[in-house]
Amino acid sequence: MEHGSFQDESQATFSLTDEDHTLANSLRYTLNQDPRVTFCGYSIPHPSDARANIRVQTTGDLARDVLKDSCQDLMLVCQHVRSTVDQAVMEFKNKQWVESMTIK
Amino acid sequence: MEGVSYQRFPKIKIRTVRDDFMKFELRETDASIANALRRVMIAEVPTIAIDLVEIEVNSSVLNDEFIAHRLGLIPLTSERAMAMRFSRDCDACDGDGQCEYCSVEFHLRAKCINDQTLDVTSKDLYSSDHTVVPVDFPDSSTGLDNADNRGIIIVKLRRGQELGLRAIARKGIGKDHAKWSPAATVTFMYEPEIYINEELMETLTLEEKKEFVESSPTKVFDINANTQQLTSILLLNAPTLYPVGSAEFHSVFLQIVDSNQICSVEIFLSELMACENSSFYNVQLSHFNANFVVHFAPFQVYVYDAEAYTYDDEVLKKAEAMGKPGLVEIHAKEDSFIFTVETTGAIKASQLFLNAIEVLKQKLDAVRLSADTVEADEQFGELGAHMRGG
Repeated sequence: MEHGSFQDESQATFSLTDEDHTLANSLRYTLNQDPRVTFCGYSIPHPSDARANIRVQTTGDLARDVLKDSCQDLMLVCQHVRSTVDQAVMEFKNKQWVESMTIK
Repeated sequence: MEGVSYQRFPKIKIRTVRDDFMKFELRETDASIANALRRVMIAEVPTIAIDLVEIEVNSSVLNDEFIAHRLGLIPLTSERAMAMRFSRDCDACDGDGQCEYCSVEFHLRAKCINDQTLDVTSKDLYSSDHTVVPVDFPDSSTGLDNADNRGIIIVKLRRGQELGLRAIARKGIGKDHAKWSPAATVTFMYEPEIYINEELMETLTLEEKKEFVESSPTKVFDINANTQQLTSILLLNAPTLYPVGSAEFHSVFLQIVDSNQICSVEIFLSELMACENSSFYNVQLSHFNANFVVHFAPFQVYVYDAEAYTYDDEVLKKAEAMGKPGLVEIHAKEDSFIFTVETTGAIKASQLFLNAIEVLKQKLDAVRLSADTVEADEQFGELGAHMRGG
C-alpha cells in the first residue's frame, strides 16, 4: 500500500502488511545503495501489528519505481548468493573427497 | 535512469558442511542482509510438523493435549515442504485441509502387555508418505548405546495402558509456531582482525606475557615456546660469537673448529624450553670442552584462534592494567561475517540456506508485484482524495 501525493510522486511511504525487520531492513539497505534515493528509512509502528512502513524520497524518479528496482536488485543479490553457495558446497565436497582419497 | 546502483555482490566460502551443521563465511555485504538471512532461516523456511491429532484411546499417565503437544514438536524430514501447499491455500481438498497434496497422515498404536515399561517413541509413528518421517539420528557419539537408537520418547506405558491416535502433519513456518522452525541455532559473528604490536610486546617479560595470554576467557593468543628465535651462540673457550640471525630453529648444528678437528654438535631447542633470554650450557666432546652461551629472542605471543574472540574487551583491559595500552588492536570487520547454521534434522543445513534465499526472493516478489495493484486506491479512496486535495 502506497501513501503518497499525486502532485509529487517522488516521495512516498509504502506500508507492507505481514512484514517485519527481515525484509524492511534489507530493503532499506539496498535502497540506500541506489544513487537516485535522497532519503530512505523504515519503521514498525507497533510490534503486535505485523506492518512495516518504508519511506522513500528520490531525486525525481517515481518512488514506486525506485522501490521496485531495489526489490529487483536485492533479488539479484540473493540469486548471486545462491549460485555462490552451490559452487562453494561443490568445491568443498570435491576437496573433501580428494583428501579422503589421498589419506587412504 | 541516472546511475547504476552501488550495491555489492557478496562472496561465500564454506568451512565445514555436515548433514545438520554448516559453517561458512559471508563477505562483502552488510549486516542487514546477514540478519535478514538469519531471520528467514529461523522463522520463515517452511517445514512439516504434526498439526492435528485425533486421539482414539489414551490410558497413559499424560493427558491428550500433552501428548498432542509433544507430537507437534517431533521433527519430520521436510524435503517436500518447499513444494507443498499450505493447507489453507489448498483447493484440492474438500475444505478440511487433509488431502494428500497438502498434508501427511500418521498413525500410532501402542499397548503395553508385559510387565516391562513400554517406551512409545517417534519410531512408532507410521507415515503415509515415506519421504516424511520422524528424523532419525544415527547417533555416532556413543558407539555402544546406539545399537538400539530408540528415537524420541513420546510417552511411557505401564501394563494395560494403551495409546492409539491419528495425526495430520501440515506445512508451516517458524513464525506461526516454533515446531515448524527447521533451525536449531543460526548465529553469525563479525570476523575479528587482531594486530599485535610487536615492539611493545617485546618489552614484556615472560611472566607478563603469560598473564596477558591467560587474561582472555577464550584461547585467542598463545605463546610460541617450541620454535624460539635463536639470535646467537657465544663460544666461551675460544670466544667466538656465532651469529645465528633471527631465523627460527628446532635445533642448531654448531661447528666447533679445534686446532685438529672439526666437531659438530647438535643442540635441540626443545631441551632449552625453560630458559629465558640466555643460558649457559656445557657440552662434553671427546677431548674438547665446549662452553657456550645461547641467546634467544624472547618468547613470541601469536594469535592462536582469532575467531575464539567473543568481543569481550578483557585482553584490552589487561593491556591497560599492565600499563601498555596499545599492545593489541582488535577491530571487527564490518562487512565480513561467520555464520554457524545448525538444523534439527528436518532439512539439511546447506538446503536450509538455499531455501532461505528462495523464501527471501519470494517475499521480494510479493512486494514488487503488490505495488502494482490498484486495490489500495479503491480501499483508501478517501485517503487518496485527502492527499490530493490536502
